[in-house]
Amino acid sequence: MVNIFQKKVLILAIYAGEIMMKNGAEVYRVEDTITRICKACRMDHVEIFATPTGIFVSLDNGGEDDDPLTYVKRIDGIETDLNKISKINHFSREFTTTDLSVDDAMKQLKEIDETKPYPIPLRLLGAALVASFFSLIFGGAPVDFCVAFVVGMFAYAFSRFLGKFDINFFVRCFCSCAGAAFLALVASSWIDAAAYQPVIIGTLMIFVPGVAITNAIRDFLSGSMLSGICRMMEAFLIAVALAAGAGVVLKLWSVIGGVFG
Amino acid sequence: MSDLLLQFIYALFATCGFAIIFRVPLKHFPVCMIIGGLAWSCYQICLYYNASAVVGCFIAACLVGLLSDICSRLFKEAATIFIIPGMISLVPGYNIYYTMEALLSSELGDAAKVGSQTLLMAGAIAAGLLVIGAVINVIRSIVKKTAALTRAKL
Repeated sequence: MVNIFQKKVLILAIYAGEIMMKNGAEVYRVEDTITRICKACRMDHVEIFATPTGIFVSLDNGGEDDDPLTYVKRIDGIETDLNKISKINHFSREFTTTDLSVDDAMKQLKEIDETKPYPIPLRLLGAALVASFFSLIFGGAPVDFCVAFVVGMFAYAFSRFLGKFDINFFVRCFCSCAGAAFLALVASSWIDAAAYQPVIIGTLMIFVPGVAITNAIRDFLSGSMLSGICRMMEAFLIAVALAAGAGVVLKLWSVIGGVFG
Repeated sequence: MSDLLLQFIYALFATCGFAIIFRVPLKHFPVCMIIGGLAWSCYQICLYYNASAVVGCFIAACLVGLLSDICSRLFKEAATIFIIPGMISLVPGYNIYYTMEALLSSELGDAAKVGSQTLLMAGAIAAGLLVIGAVINVIRSIVKKTAALTRAKL
């Protein structure tokens, strides 16, 4: 039979895996962390199957008439918080090399899970930096730099705002890009020197699916075909949502402008 | 030359923005920024020597993979922390936009051309990271095997 201690360790390991998976780690790293934590507590008969939407772990003691214990953990919500991944990496190293008790480890994990991302104003500044400098890279003038700075900030804030209502990630990308395109068009019609293309491209870059592409490749490489395909699809859908969001507004603008202009 | 330097600086700050959004630990900010800046400059240099955008993406992605792996060993961190902010400036947001614009003005030929280039560029980034990852895996397993063999002989 699986005893209470082993059950506790299993819950701890799954919790660690869940935090990593939610914050943009590769499947290989999640599976590796769970195995290491279990092996450190001398639980050798562990099998793990992780995908971006769920983690399955089963455990038994290797005896002939044992009942195996299986846990399924559903993962929802994609965010990227590389700090948490880095912290759990250190945590698993510490847990496997020192004799940290399971309860203390659980406390540490909870602390890691509750660490906040950078404060909102700073993240808005980050989004503004991305949008403005990419608008410069893609041939924007200094005026476009300023416009993109504001539009990028707005688009990111809007996406955060929509996120509060548990709105699907693709819809959020679509709406934020539509909003950004609209603002860029308004700005370019008010200010003569401003062009809207560099501003829209700069803002697009904030939401571009870089994490999904990277992780898809790393998953393929480690043999997790299923999650590789999931993430490829995710990247493709995000790209389509971005293009569609900006495209709808551009089209509407040209149609309405054609009527009233 | 001064153009390249400007592009490097732009990419540096853009990567800094991504590092804030993705919450890279503060002590790794400089490294991430430099990797992102170098990747974009590498891409620009490739374009300057008349390589296609796809080849440029591939070479720049290889550079990102290599640098990130070195840094992950150096700082004992997960390589993802360096790869994600580093490669993201290579993602063809520019081409996504122009595909959409060509579709809007019903120039399907252009849309197909730019669209397929977008897919190829994303594929090239993937392939670059893949190649470096695979090579590193092979080297790692060879090192491990030879270490085990020499230990067995002793």
